[in-house]
Amino acid sequence: MGLLDKLSVWLGRGRTEVTVLVLGLDNSGKSTLLDALRPPEQRVHHSQPTVGQQQDHFQSSGVSFSAWDVSGAPRHRALWERHYRRAHAVIFVVDSADHLRLVVAREELELMLAHPDMFGRRLPLLVFANKCDANHALAPMQVAAALGLERITDKPWHICASNALSGAGLTDGIAWLARQIRDLHIQHH
Amino acid sequence: MTRWLDVEVGNDDIEINTLPSNLALVDLHNDNEYKLLIGDLGKGEEGPKLKVFRGAMQLLDLPLPDLPLGVVGFYASDTVPRIPPVVAVAFSSCIYIYKNMKLFYKYYLPSIDLSTSESEIWKQIMDPQNHNEEVIPILTENLKAVPHKVLSAESRNFLSMTLDQQLEYVEQMTEMPSRKIPEVACITTLKMHSIERQSVSCLVVGTEDGEVIVLDPHTFHQLSIAKLCAIKRTPYQMVTTGLYNVDYRITVATREKSVCVLKRDWSEGRLLFATDEHIVALEVMPTDHSVLVICCDNTLSCYSKKGKRQWSLSLEHRPVALTLVPVVALGVTLAAVALASGHVHLYDAKARRDTMFVKDAASVMKFGQLGQEEHVFITITKSGNLMVKILKRTADFNAHAASVESALTPGAGTKPWFIPKKSKLFLEQSVRERENPRAMHQKFQQELNSLRLVCARSLLQAHERADNCVAAGALNAVRLAAEVEGLGPVFRVTLILENTSPDKAAIGLAILFHVPPANYKVSNPYIKVPLLPPNAKLQFPTKVEEIFEDANPDVFFRTVTGEGGERSLVKILLVKEGRTSPVLAATVLMPPTDPMMLPYEKMQQGFENMALEAMEA
Repeated sequence: MGLLDKLSVWLGRGRTEVTVLVLGLDNSGKSTLLDALRPPEQRVHHSQPTVGQQQDHFQSSGVSFSAWDVSGAPRHRALWERHYRRAHAVIFVVDSADHLRLVVAREELELMLAHPDMFGRRLPLLVFANKCDANHALAPMQVAAALGLERITDKPWHICASNALSGAGLTDGIAWLARQIRDLHIQHH
Repeated sequence: MTRWLDVEVGNDDIEINTLPSNLALVDLHNDNEYKLLIGDLGKGEEGPKLKVFRGAMQLLDLPLPDLPLGVVGFYASDTVPRIPPVVAVAFSSCIYIYKNMKLFYKYYLPSIDLSTSESEIWKQIMDPQNHNEEVIPILTENLKAVPHKVLSAESRNFLSMTLDQQLEYVEQMTEMPSRKIPEVACITTLKMHSIERQSVSCLVVGTEDGEVIVLDPHTFHQLSIAKLCAIKRTPYQMVTTGLYNVDYRITVATREKSVCVLKRDWSEGRLLFATDEHIVALEVMPTDHSVLVICCDNTLSCYSKKGKRQWSLSLEHRPVALTLVPVVALGVTLAAVALASGHVHLYDAKARRDTMFVKDAASVMKFGQLGQEEHVFITITKSGNLMVKILKRTADFNAHAASVESALTPGAGTKPWFIPKKSKLFLEQSVRERENPRAMHQKFQQELNSLRLVCARSLLQAHERADNCVAAGALNAVRLAAEVEGLGPVFRVTLILENTSPDKAAIGLAILFHVPPANYKVSNPYIKVPLLPPNAKLQFPTKVEEIFEDANPDVFFRTVTGEGGERSLVKILLVKEGRTSPVLAATVLMPPTDPMMLPYEKMQQGFENMALEAMEA
C-alpha cells in the first residue's frame, strides 16, 4: 500500500463517520461529557437523566464521530447490547468519586466485554475517570485497577481523568481514540 | 455464580456496636444520594455516637447523650422546594430531632401521675418521722409490692439502693415525686397521606407502658394515642403499613412472646398471635400484610394478617436478624435471615433462594438504597465490621435459576396437587380399558417382558465382546489423541479416546499422566475410562498447570513460539486392568506459558533472582 493510498484512506475516513458508543452508569456524566465536546454555541446544559438514547456528532484529529449516548439507568442497561454490533469504539464513563458503585461499573464493563458482539473484536476502549475535581475522587490508575482494565487483552484501552463540566482531559482522550481508529483503519487496508 | 458484588470497605477504623433499629437509610441532602445512619452504642471508653456514612466512607460522627434506641429519617413538611428530611433519634427518656444534622428539638413524652398506692408510700417516706432504720425497710417492702412495671424511675432507683443510701437520699429530698415520665421503647415512622418517597411521615413511638403514640411531624403534638393491648404488653419492634390519613396497621412485636396489631380508629390494639418462644425480629410483607417472625426456638414462621399460622420452618442455627429484601425489578420480596453460624439465607416464602456466608456472623442487616444504588445489602458483623454487597443487575431469584434450592420437605399445608383436566383422548382410552381390561393388561405385560429380554441380551452381547477384546491382548482398535489449549499457566489438555472397532467394546481402561512434578501439576492425573462402545469417541478434558517453583528467569524469557524443551514433556499412558505394561503411550510437548499470563509476584521473584545472580557475578 503506497503513501497515496494511505492519504486517501485518511481523507476518506474523515468524510465517513465512526460510530462510538458512550456507556456508563447513570449519573456518571455521559451527556454532560458529550455536551462539552460540542462547539460552545451549540451546548445545551443537561440536567435531566437521559431516557433511552440520543445521538451526537463531533470531530477530532480529522475523524468524524457519531456518538450514541445511551441511558445508564439500571433498567435501561439491558438495551446497551443493541448498539454493540455497529460500534467502532466505546467510551466508558465512570464517576471516580462514587466509590460504592465502582464494582457495579466493573460488572457492567465485564458484561459488555464478554458479550458475543464485542468479544474478540479489536475496537478501542476509552475510559474516562470523570468528576476528577470532586472530593475523594480516585486517581485514574486507581479507577483502572478497580475496573480490572489490566485484564483486557483483546482491545486497546486508555484511561484518562476528566471533568465534563469544565472539559478538562476530554481532548486528550478523544485524540487518543481518533489515533487508534486511524491506525486500525490503516491496518485493515 | 454469586448474585452479589462485594464492595471493598476499609474496615480498619470502623467498629460498630449497634442494634437493627439503629440503622437508617436516609436521603440526607435531598440529592438522591442515600446516606447510612447508624446509632452506635459505643464500646468501652467510646460513648454512644450517631455516625453518617456515604457509601462505606464515614462522613460525620455526632456524640449522643445516651444509648440510642432507634434512628429514623423522615420528611416533616411537603413544601416545594423540598426541605431535606429530619432525623429522629430515640433515647429511653426523650427523642432528639435533628435538622441538617443539627439538634433542633427535644421531645419528651407527656408525664403521667403516679399510681395512688405508689404516691401513698412516697408520702410516708417523705414524712421526717419515718426517717429511721425501722420504718424505711417496711416502706421499701411496700413499694416492692407495687407491680414493677407501673413504678416510676425514682421508685426503681430507690429500690436498688442500700439502706444507708436510702436514708441519705430521703434526707436530701425536697420534693415528692408526683409525676412519672414514660419511657420510649421503640420508634418508627408512618407516611401521612401519600406513599411517595418524599411524602410527609409522622413519628410513631412505642412506650414502656405499652402505649403507641403517633406524633405530628411538624408540631410534635399527639395525633393519637392507643394502648397496645388489654393486657399489659411492652412493644420492642413496630412495623407500619398503610397511610395515617387513609388506613394503617401497626404490627408490634412485644417482649411477652406475642404480636399485637393496631389499626386506624382503634382505641386499643388487639393480640394478633402468641408464639412459643421469644421473638427475635418481625417483618411485615408489604403485599399481603402477612407477618414473618424469627423466634428463639430456631424457627422462621409466617402468619396471615388475621393471625393464623401459615407455615413454619425450623432453622439449623439460632436466628440473629431478619430483614426484607424487596427487588422491585424482579417483583419479589425476599426475607433475609441471618443465623448465628454466619449464614444468611434468603427466602421467598418457604423456598430458599440464596445463601451468603458472613465470616464473623452478621448481627445487624439492612437492605435498601445506599448512595445511588438501589439494591444494597448492608451487614454489620458481630465484631463491628461493616459489609456492603450490591445485588447484580442480572441476578435472578426464580425457582428455575441455577443454584436455587427447591422448597424443603413437602409436609402438611402444601398446595394441593395440580391435576389437569381430563382430555377426550384420556376418556376414550379409559372407556377402552373398561371394556377389555384383561387383554390389555396381558398385552402390556408381554411387551414389557420382551423389551426386558432384548435389553438383557444386548447387554450380555456387548459384555462378551469386550471380554474377547481383553483376551486378544492387542488393543489395535483404540486410538489416543491429545489437544492442548490455552496460553498458560493453566492449560487444558483434552484427551480423545476413540474405539475404531466396528463391533467390540473396550472396558477396564484408565489414563495415567506422567509429568515432571517440579514443572507441572495435573488436576486429575488418573482417569478411569468407562465402557467405550464400538465406533465411539470419548473426550477427557484435564487441567495441567505449569508451576514456577524455582522462578528461573530463563523460563520467563524463552520465546513464546518456541518449545519448552525437556521440562515440558508430558507423557500420557493408557493402562488396562490386570496388565503390568501400558497399552498405549502418547507424548505431549507442552507449549511454554505466555509471559503476559504469568502471575505478577512470580515475575517479580524471577527478576530478583536474576538481580542476585548478576550481583554475585
